[in-house]
Amino acid sequence: MSVNNAPQPVKLSLPLEYQQHLFQELRAEDELVVIAKGLGLMRLVNNLLHSYDAAGNNLIIIVGAEDRENGWIGEALAEHAAISMAPKARGLTVVNTDFTSVGAREKMYAKGGIYSITSRILVVDLLTGLLNPESITGVVVLHADKVVATSLEAFILRVYRQKNKTGFLKAFSDNPDPFAIGFSPLATMLRNMFLRKASLWPRFHVTVAGSLEGKKKAEVIELEVPMTDAMKDIQTAIMECVEVSIQELKKGNSGLEMEDWNLDSALLKNFDVMVRRQLDPNWHRVSWKTKQIVSDLTVLRGLLHSLLTFDSVSFLQHLDTIHAAHSPQPGSTRQNQSPWLFLDAAHTIFTTAKQRVYASKAKATAESSIDSLRPVLEEQPKWSLLAEILEEIDRDLYFEPVMKDDSNGTILIMCSDTSTCRQLRDYLQTMYVQPKTDEESKRDKDEPRQSGAFMMRRKLRNYLNWKREFANVNNALFSENQKALENAVDPRIARGNYKGKAPANKRRRARGGGTTGAGPGRNANGSVAQYFEKPAEVVDLMDEIRITEEESKQKEDIIADPLEDMDDYFELYEMQDLVVVHAYEGDQDEHVLEEIRPRYIIMYEPDASFIRHVEVYRSSHNDRNVRVYFMFYGGSVEEQRYLASVRREKDCFMKLIKERASMSVVMTVDAHGVEDPQEAFLRTVNTRIAGGGRLAATAQPPRVVVDVREFRSSLPSLLHGRNIEIVPCMLTVGDYVLSPNICVERKSISDLISSFKDGRLYNQAETMFQHYKNPMLLIEFDQNKSFTLEPFADLSGNLRSVDPSAESPSDLQSKIVLLTLAFPRLRIVWSSSPYQTAEIFEGLKAQQDEPDPLAAVRAGLDPRDASRAEDAPHQAFNLEPHDMLAAAPGVTPQNLKNITLETENVREVANMAESELEPLVGREAARKIHGFFNRNLIDVDGY
Amino acid sequence: QVLPQRSSGSSILVSPRQKGNPVLASLRSLPWEYSDIPADYGLGLTTCALFLSLKYHRLHPEYIYTRIRNLQGKYNLRILLTMVDIPNHEDPLRELSKTSLVNNVTIILCWSAAEAARYLELYKSYEHANFGAIKGQQATSYAEKLVEFVTVPRGINKADAISLVSAFGSLKNAINGDPEQVSMIAGWGEKKVKRWCSVVEEPFRVQH
Repeated sequence: MSVNNAPQPVKLSLPLEYQQHLFQELRAEDELVVIAKGLGLMRLVNNLLHSYDAAGNNLIIIVGAEDRENGWIGEALAEHAAISMAPKARGLTVVNTDFTSVGAREKMYAKGGIYSITSRILVVDLLTGLLNPESITGVVVLHADKVVATSLEAFILRVYRQKNKTGFLKAFSDNPDPFAIGFSPLATMLRNMFLRKASLWPRFHVTVAGSLEGKKKAEVIELEVPMTDAMKDIQTAIMECVEVSIQELKKGNSGLEMEDWNLDSALLKNFDVMVRRQLDPNWHRVSWKTKQIVSDLTVLRGLLHSLLTFDSVSFLQHLDTIHAAHSPQPGSTRQNQSPWLFLDAAHTIFTTAKQRVYASKAKATAESSIDSLRPVLEEQPKWSLLAEILEEIDRDLYFEPVMKDDSNGTILIMCSDTSTCRQLRDYLQTMYVQPKTDEESKRDKDEPRQSGAFMMRRKLRNYLNWKREFANVNNALFSENQKALENAVDPRIARGNYKGKAPANKRRRARGGGTTGAGPGRNANGSVAQYFEKPAEVVDLMDEIRITEEESKQKEDIIADPLEDMDDYFELYEMQDLVVVHAYEGDQDEHVLEEIRPRYIIMYEPDASFIRHVEVYRSSHNDRNVRVYFMFYGGSVEEQRYLASVRREKDCFMKLIKERASMSVVMTVDAHGVEDPQEAFLRTVNTRIAGGGRLAATAQPPRVVVDVREFRSSLPSLLHGRNIEIVPCMLTVGDYVLSPNICVERKSISDLISSFKDGRLYNQAETMFQHYKNPMLLIEFDQNKSFTLEPFADLSGNLRSVDPSAESPSDLQSKIVLLTLAFPRLRIVWSSSPYQTAEIFEGLKAQQDEPDPLAAVRAGLDPRDASRAEDAPHQAFNLEPHDMLAAAPGVTPQNLKNITLETENVREVANMAESELEPLVGREAARKIHGFFNRNLIDVDGY
Repeated sequence: QVLPQRSSGSSILVSPRQKGNPVLASLRSLPWEYSDIPADYGLGLTTCALFLSLKYHRLHPEYIYTRIRNLQGKYNLRILLTMVDIPNHEDPLRELSKTSLVNNVTIILCWSAAEAARYLELYKSYEHANFGAIKGQQATSYAEKLVEFVTVPRGINKADAISLVSAFGSLKNAINGDPEQVSMIAGWGEKKVKRWCSVVEEPFRVQH
């Protein structure tokens, strides 16, 4: 390879012109690379890292890498090192929460090499001096699109650039979307990263197009698959639900702009995200119902997608779960039913989905009894097409043996996720297995027709089993609701109960009409009945299930023997070729292609970046022929989404190119250190050296002790930007310690609501008062959220709303009132944004002594823990398992600590016997915890 | 109309200075009466409130300090009920935050007269309330607790929680389930499976 500036001879794997070009550019200078998805970003990064790695003797930090990317980089580096036989290459070291003792980290950093470090750990290490910024050779930023001004990554880069002006800094992104939002986004982004140059590589870049289109192109065959009528019906019904939900939203929230709303745009766009974004500034003020509808929209959009990917049985199962999850909570007076469940359209969704699986038409021809249910088991249209393609390939191979080339002759099937993968694998394995009943028809033909009948029948059996258990679970979980509902005077329910208790023969008669019989009854009750008829519905369903199950059980014995031949059928493929089913995995697809070297690729679902991967693959290898089959459902979300994503990417790049042409460049790396304009705007010189007595204190730089968990927010970064020294510590009490007396608990609005709910704030305030003279509660609003707590609802003159005897005050204001009454000396600081908070902190700190980090860490710890705390002032806790355990009944903030000290993880706690838990938390709590984990929801009353 | 017997303690005491304040018009849920008190509103034996409109504060920044001084440390909880009625509220609010620390007052912000009135009513009516509502943990049903527990990891929603538990039968089994089993459940994609399986295995604290 000609591309090589490193002193050490390294072998690179960049065959295409644009890749080499880009690599040279990156070696030469610091820049931000924005590249279209699928053009091999990771390959570029790997090669770049390798060229540094091979040289040895440096310390390179990777910022912003995800877990799987760490895996790829590690593998690639090891591979490269082996190929170019670089003795000095050390590969990648990943630093995340699993592997972090302070001492070990310090030693590691001293050794040098390439490190991928979780941002939260990295920023703490940089601030505490564990990792000296001056010793870093360079920083590589992945996902540069996420580096916004207040992000942790921007904070890291600022700290790095402040102390280290010579190290390199290279940023990468393959997602141009965020660069096209807002005012001069590219310039802002470059400023955040202290970079001056942006290098843009869209697919239509001359060099890229030249490299990919110059040689023989891959052969692509597009296949549009029509959806079945039932699928279309369901899709239309879902869209209707979406439409009504949005109208409902508009009614409640006048500010919502959904002018361009129509069915097409719903197919096209992430409408739930759009709505959420519009409501976000007022999210803490909107009514409960609005929130419910917004979450419904997400559910509905998920349904649109799963309609296409799930098979009909799984889809029905998914619907059942959604239905159960949206059932109302007991004892609530609000109307918490999701509005879409009341619609006729929702009814259509549920019944059509059911009819895709089984119908109740009487069929005298079958050997089964007259009024039994008949499985329908609609198959996904793509399946048969897939089978046809495979057959065609078979024929091709047979009639015209291909010329020898470097391809493996493998057939690669690509789909969107692992569950689809599994579904297809299942289908391919069993598509030649015929249920016995179809035997006659099979004999007619000279060759067996492919069908998913076997698989679908198996699925249905599993589903029916599941359904029976699920009814139990549902009962166990929501029995309170049922009772509450039954107690309510409702004629419909009474009728439902009657139905449930009716003698068997009567029930049979009721079932005569099957689902169609139940349908009109429901409709006659109006749309509201959809849910309330649940008891009756369940009984009915249970009946239906039992019958179909018996029916299918009979067949199970017959089906059983073809199953044993399954291997033979599978062998059939293996002899000629290999069929590989794989899910799209971003840049990892490249490896899949390289390793499998397929001749045929079937794209079961469209994916823009994979097409490019194929292009790159095809152009990189002269001697490999590829034919691509490309499937999509016509007129579906899938098609629209694919087209929209391609279009959007192109638009974003156009915008970026335009902006780059007219951008004013800010010289960021100058002799005076970093000058972020945003920061400069905020910075005011601290001129408050008032009175001679203050001299001693002002000799120290202003300092704030910050809890390490707070680094998730942007405030530490902003404080640092105001020239305040940040001391990261593991604090037990408070989030920020501003002075020996002032301790601040920071709450964003959502935190505030949740911490009122679980009583956390009360405890926190209590402990703050034990250790500090002036505890403060900081209520921080988001930068772009409206600065008000006022709900949209009318609050005047409602006596009930101020009634202290009401069960629980629901709104935030009354809880704040209670808090101040409980702690009259608790000061509340209101801040409209983190920027504002930083200024307030600075003001509060003025004329105060600097806090002592050690004292701050000790506060709130047991004396025996205190000594331990000194060894590891910023020991990392894993928060999620903590939060989870705290949610379990019986676990209190007091005994939580005991449990986490003595046990390893959530799994261990869940598997502990009551007697093992008892010494940790006491008898009562142990019983509760044990019961929580062990309660059996299926066998509650034994069936 | 028969008014409830007015005992001295059951109504909000209002200083005559507040005459004409639109907040009074919104005070409708509780009785109020004029009384000669150093604060603007007397909300109980140990609680009082001063009312401050930021618009006024901008014109007369010294006013509020005089008022606070005149309280002479009489009340235990001294609310500074501040109405945010100007757009550039940052500077005055920062200054008031500092003041609250020095002068021992608690700032409560409100954005309209109706909200201000509601705060006053709340303070008065909660005068003898207990703090159970903010001490947390009202008894909730098993299902709610379960959903709460399972939905702690990001990205896992209520429907997922129910499908998970219904597939495994009990929470313990769900926690012990291996990723392959979990990913069989409809609605559980790779990310969710990974997140769930890693969170139950993740150690509580980092080992040394």
